[in-house]
Amino acid sequence: MRNKCCKWTVYLITAGAMALAGVVYGQERNAATAQLQWDRCLICHGKPGLKKVLPNGRIISLYVDRDQLARSVHSKRRCEECHTDITTIPHKGEIKKVDCRHCHYKGSPMGVPDTEKYLEYEESVHGRAVKEGNPKAAICQDCHGAHDVLPPTDPASHVFKLHVPQTCGRCHLKEYSDYSKGVHGKQLHEGNMDMPSCVDCHGEHRIYRPTDEKSTVYATHVPETCSKCHAAKQIVGKYGLSPERVETYKESFHGIATEFGEKRAANCASCHGYHAILPSSDPESPIYVTNIPKTCGKCHPNANLNYARGSIHVNPKSKESGVVYYVSTFFRYFTTLVILGLIIHILLDIYRRIRLRLEKEKS
Amino acid sequence: MKPAETIERFNRNLRIQHFILMISMIMLSLTGLALKFHDTWLGRLLMAIEGGFGMRGIIHRTFALILIGLGVYHFYYILFRKEGHEEFLRIVPRGKDVRDFVQYLRFSILGKGEPPKAGKYDFRQKFQYWGVVAGFWVMVITGFVLWFESAAMAVLPKWFIDVTLVFHGYEGLLIFLVLFLYHLYNVHLNPDHFPMSRVWLDGKISLEQLKKEHPLEYEELFSGAPSSEEEREGGHRAQ
Repeated sequence: MRNKCCKWTVYLITAGAMALAGVVYGQERNAATAQLQWDRCLICHGKPGLKKVLPNGRIISLYVDRDQLARSVHSKRRCEECHTDITTIPHKGEIKKVDCRHCHYKGSPMGVPDTEKYLEYEESVHGRAVKEGNPKAAICQDCHGAHDVLPPTDPASHVFKLHVPQTCGRCHLKEYSDYSKGVHGKQLHEGNMDMPSCVDCHGEHRIYRPTDEKSTVYATHVPETCSKCHAAKQIVGKYGLSPERVETYKESFHGIATEFGEKRAANCASCHGYHAILPSSDPESPIYVTNIPKTCGKCHPNANLNYARGSIHVNPKSKESGVVYYVSTFFRYFTTLVILGLIIHILLDIYRRIRLRLEKEKS
Repeated sequence: MKPAETIERFNRNLRIQHFILMISMIMLSLTGLALKFHDTWLGRLLMAIEGGFGMRGIIHRTFALILIGLGVYHFYYILFRKEGHEEFLRIVPRGKDVRDFVQYLRFSILGKGEPPKAGKYDFRQKFQYWGVVAGFWVMVITGFVLWFESAAMAVLPKWFIDVTLVFHGYEGLLIFLVLFLYHLYNVHLNPDHFPMSRVWLDGKISLEQLKKEHPLEYEELFSGAPSSEEEREGGHRAQ
């Protein structure tokens, strides 16, 4: 009996070792042979001049840079692992765009990053547009690259923070141009990694229209999105920003309305703009003093320069707020005093009653 | 104990005015506090009960209009209605009220002398009435500025609106506290009236209580003290 047990154990260990070796060997073989296998395709696709005219007249390059592919995260993949509809040379039939979901899905055994992002993309404005048949909508390779996919942390990646605006800007030209004029864009272009790129406000895969309640830039979600940096001590301290901007907004009528889902109320972007955000000292800024009537006038008919007399972000508890501070301080003391007086009055009343009763009992 | 003899202290008109004032004060307080304490669980609860941010504002302004309507009527009542005008003359503050207050303090704290003798309205009641009048004007004026902020800002600078908002918020809180702390103590928790003074419901006060709390009025009514014929009519007997 004991012998039998031993035998089975040896079998199992051997089988396990063989399976492991097989996997390791397989991967090694895969890596070594994948790039050899590219040669067959690169006979044609390795020529920089290889182009194709699409039925709509557009000319696309069919050139594949071997070195670029070898540096990418897909350096161990054979061509037809992605281009699954290529089965013969010369190719027959319609050749479709590569569908990354062959490997990239939640729970995939292919050793890809196991995240929810694939599903998030499908629900996003881009994913939905693709599903609805919009040929222009961004698919994975539009942002991540095709043969040059790199991890987002790699400075050469299309989705490396400093490159995100250009990547999004390939389709969103107007937004890119506005963003580049704003404080965030200008400094990001100079290499400042603290600055938000497109995805810091809009989300990465979870991008929705600003009118969609799920969006991070939906009217009532804007304050929270901006507060990620503008209420963060690290950022506020480093750039000398006012530490109370978010808090004072939240205490304002606009802020309270927004908090309770009133999307007509002004949020950060309503006054400060969004892509081309500029400091109040810049004459182009919507909050530059002479632009205030126009900016406030979007909601308040006939707004005039009175809207610029005083500050918008008011903290009644801060001395800088002037009259507002003194009035609110007066009221805080006054209310406390009145209430104290009334409480004393009530206590006196009770005291008098007790004394009267005691005197009655005595007599 | 046989039922005490009573007389009518508040006529039906005044009771209805008081009832409308009470309802509008409660509603204005609840909707106002929801905004002032929006960042606490209480504020969020009130806001939810009141149907959200927009609805809260509509309720607040509706009851503000009801209160203003009451104020306009009250103004008419005390100026042009005989009964109202006579009642108003009794609640006008006089030098006696200050003396009564001092006498009250001497009596309560030092235990010297007698408690002050009050007429129909003692100095506390006058203080409450005039507190409501002052609060009414502050709240209505600042409230209108905030309600029609775009029109107001045609002439007023932004900082003035901020001051107005602070005024409206704190004055509202003050009125709320005075009403719910002091007024409710006087008419509910006060051992003489516990659990509740019934004046606001049927307008009646017992003669025993009248004699105790408003001795001058009692004298005026029953011991033939010099007083005008109308005043006798105003406090006509019942039962």
